[in-house]
Amino acid sequence: MSKNPQPILTVSAVRKVFGETEIIRGVDLELRDGQRHALIGPNGAGKSTLFHLISGHYAPDEGRIIFDGHEIQGASPEYINRLGLARSFQITNIFPKLSVFENLRIAVMRRHGLQNTLWRFMSSYANVREDTDRLLEQVRLQSRRDAIAGELSYSEQRSMEIAMALASEPKVILLDEPTAGMSHEETDYAIDLIKSATQGRSLLIVEHDMDAVFSLCDRISVLVYGQVIATGTPEEIRNNQKVKEAYLGEEFKV
Amino acid sequence: MKSNIWISLAVGTGLLLAFPALVSQPLVNAGIQMLIAALFACAFNLLCGQAGMLSFGHAAYFGIGTFATIHTMNAFGGAGLLPTPLMPLGGALIGLLTGGVAGWFATKRTGTYFAMITLALAELLHALAPHLKGVFGGEAGIYAMRMPAWGISFGSSIEVYYLTLAWVFVSLLLLYLFTLTPMGRLSLGLRENSHRLKFLGYDVHRLSVTVFAISAMFAGVAGGLQALHTESANYVLFEGHVSAAVVLNSYIGGVSAFLGPALGAVLMTFFGYAVSDLTRSWLLYQGLLFVLIMMFMPTGLIGVFKWLGTSRKTYGTAQLLPLICLGLSTGMILTAGVVFAVEMLQRVFSLDYRSMSALSPAAGWAPITLFGRDWLPNSIGTWIVPLSLLLVGVALTSQVKRLWRSLVDRVEHHRENSDAAIRRNER
Amino acid sequence: MDYLIVSLLNGVIYGLLLFMVSAGLTLVFGMMGILNFAHASFYMLGAYFAYALKDSIGFWAALLTSPILVGVVGVVVEKYFLRRVHQHGHAHELLLTFGLSFIITELIKLFFGNFPVEYRVPQSMDFALFQLGTMNYPAYRIFMGSVALVMFALIYLLLTRTRVGIVVRSAIYKPRMAEALGHNVPLVFMGVFGVGAALSGLAGAIAGAFYTTNPNMALELGVIVFVVVVVGGLGSMGGAMFASILIGVVTSLSVGVSSSLADVLAWVGAREWAEQVGGLLTLELSSLSATIPFTLMLLILMMRPSGLMGDKN
Repeated sequence: MSKNPQPILTVSAVRKVFGETEIIRGVDLELRDGQRHALIGPNGAGKSTLFHLISGHYAPDEGRIIFDGHEIQGASPEYINRLGLARSFQITNIFPKLSVFENLRIAVMRRHGLQNTLWRFMSSYANVREDTDRLLEQVRLQSRRDAIAGELSYSEQRSMEIAMALASEPKVILLDEPTAGMSHEETDYAIDLIKSATQGRSLLIVEHDMDAVFSLCDRISVLVYGQVIATGTPEEIRNNQKVKEAYLGEEFKV
Repeated sequence: MKSNIWISLAVGTGLLLAFPALVSQPLVNAGIQMLIAALFACAFNLLCGQAGMLSFGHAAYFGIGTFATIHTMNAFGGAGLLPTPLMPLGGALIGLLTGGVAGWFATKRTGTYFAMITLALAELLHALAPHLKGVFGGEAGIYAMRMPAWGISFGSSIEVYYLTLAWVFVSLLLLYLFTLTPMGRLSLGLRENSHRLKFLGYDVHRLSVTVFAISAMFAGVAGGLQALHTESANYVLFEGHVSAAVVLNSYIGGVSAFLGPALGAVLMTFFGYAVSDLTRSWLLYQGLLFVLIMMFMPTGLIGVFKWLGTSRKTYGTAQLLPLICLGLSTGMILTAGVVFAVEMLQRVFSLDYRSMSALSPAAGWAPITLFGRDWLPNSIGTWIVPLSLLLVGVALTSQVKRLWRSLVDRVEHHRENSDAAIRRNER
Repeated sequence: MDYLIVSLLNGVIYGLLLFMVSAGLTLVFGMMGILNFAHASFYMLGAYFAYALKDSIGFWAALLTSPILVGVVGVVVEKYFLRRVHQHGHAHELLLTFGLSFIITELIKLFFGNFPVEYRVPQSMDFALFQLGTMNYPAYRIFMGSVALVMFALIYLLLTRTRVGIVVRSAIYKPRMAEALGHNVPLVFMGVFGVGAALSGLAGAIAGAFYTTNPNMALELGVIVFVVVVVGGLGSMGGAMFASILIGVVTSLSVGVSSSLADVLAWVGAREWAEQVGGLLTLELSSLSATIPFTLMLLILMMRPSGLMGDKN
């Protein structure tokens, strides 16, 4: 990793209004190539909304979002994903009645360009099957390969969420509270997984578990009431007065 | 389980092949209608059960297929480029094209909106068709004749039956194989979570339009078979009740299994044929059955069979059989009560009866003949029959429920005991 | 010119009628997330109940009683049918209401016959209210429009100015919160559903006397109401009003237009070619007036899929 890597994802002066409430009130954020960047902040700060804006679910009312040299504000989710940005969801967003294998396979298929194929059998694509099995192993779900996704435990479904974001081997990964609801051991494994899976990629992660954030991330941005009040290394954030005030010791272990 | 499926399929195919030899001539015609309805339902289900898009206007593509095939029949005369057996290809092609255009509009919205748009499109066609006499032939419709081809005259129903069977067989096979392709698997994703598909990089609109077009294509094939069968096409094929029928058939059979809609279509078409001479209220019964299934057996008849299969394993045939028999009898009693009431009411309120009463007001209420006996509409004795049947049925239903509950509890209790015993032994 | 005014007036009144029916539909959808396929059946029931009662209790009493009966039917449908299927999801609810609409239509055919019935405007209302040039304008049409306007005003006032209205609106936007505050939300749902059904029934009772009353009227109107809702945007009362009037006026105006696409093409000298092609190009607009709402819907879908005033969902 170079000393001062270039930004691969830039959010500039982005605003978003819903009805009469301005949720995102001018956010500037920079994700540098190859780095892991955490987005923290109290509940309701707008972290998920920011993810929605970056991933194409919503269009910002003002501001620009630049990913890998392309302007993506207001673009469609599929366009943004094809450029190489993948995300997971805070509320599990899977294919409930399909098996775990099928869920991941759908995520893997696109990379192989199979979305318009109707003249060959799915089963004939050994490479897809292998990639999917490898992904299953990576998230420790191979024993649940044929289980129905909707019947998995909550933390198993969270692992699936992570897997589906990783499946397309994206340049930038957005993970929205990936370890929510996981036990300590599961969280540790998930953080290790995220560490290894994001080697050579860029990560923007929303997390509440501060141990995880500090062990995983190079930089942290703090989002409060729709604005970034501080950005810096974990040490800088830990000692930042504004951040301490914003949290008032609620979740922030100093 | 797998071998069971293969055996059933083999037996089913055998029966279908032997069908014309086993039954009378009019029943062969009914058989052709059943096959056509089955294909239409499976084509519908590609869109509905598989891709999760409920269409209330699928008659449009069926009807277009019929008209396209009739025109093809008239244009080609059975020989040359397009012999008679290949006529439904015309229906397939026009169905595909129409489905592509209609689907482009309809899939711009999802869920309920989508359903409404498909309905509106079918109604649009229904309103437009009578005015385009060249294409749709106005009130009278268009006609064509099946011409001989490949050494077969296609004059008899039996020949048409086997032609229909061949087409339905091939189409169902293709539809099934589609589910095994990448696009087929993706369409399941459409049903489960089209929102997530977008974030996985898929162009959901394009995928939806493609699936819609394929579904319309096979609906067009079914329509084409209809054209070959009846040698006619009329704009009444675009009517609401044709779209309604395929929805009802599919859900009654069960949309979660591939052949579920085919089963529902075959049964409903058969009953319609068998019973339509006996009663004018066949559609009402169909609607009541649909609502009952929606409320109590949402997975349809296929779901009921699956449930029977798993229940047999859990509770054992010996325990289950008396309960099933009781349940069936209860169902029959309730059905008898409802049918009696509906048939009486239908006759009392029919135009014939009312004009007859109007003609001779002094004679009072004339008796109505039903099930071989005379009943007076204004006598309590008449209405006691359905009332008591329904009351007995309701009482038996709660009894069946209670027996079922106790069976479940007994087996659960037994399992807990044996689990505890095993744990005790292990210590 | 007179003809234009008459057409406009007819269109506005027809639009108001559409609004009467679609308002209830939009309200129920906004509240419960289900599209009640049987809503147009309530319209039909209103007409038939009024027809059945008018001989025994008179036209006006029937007009008042029929919506109440339809409201009761609505409450029964919500309580005993919809609630049971709620757990299976929206598609199931839609299918259930579809099945119920089917049953209602068949029952009507059973009791009243599969043909239009003699439900007419009473003698007392069968006069011309005023004259526009050479044309007489029927008083009953004005009556229909007035009832729709009064109804709209009443609903608006009820929802915005009364305590009941506030409770209803809170149940629409935040049902769990309303329940937590002690309001009986299921009762509210039942009530709104019943009132929506009653409104639809009232529209049917009034309109059935003027237009025909037949077992097909539910489907015919139902499809147009769905189109209104797609064009206006579901969940938006304003959108429903706007789309209803728009569709009403455009349909009404097009009935009198006897030119066709061939006439339009005549401007670029292509009339003869168009007439040779025939088919769609030589059809007079008046014949196609029934298809205008659908064309509008397709246009809206192409340009603004969420409807004119709906939110991007």
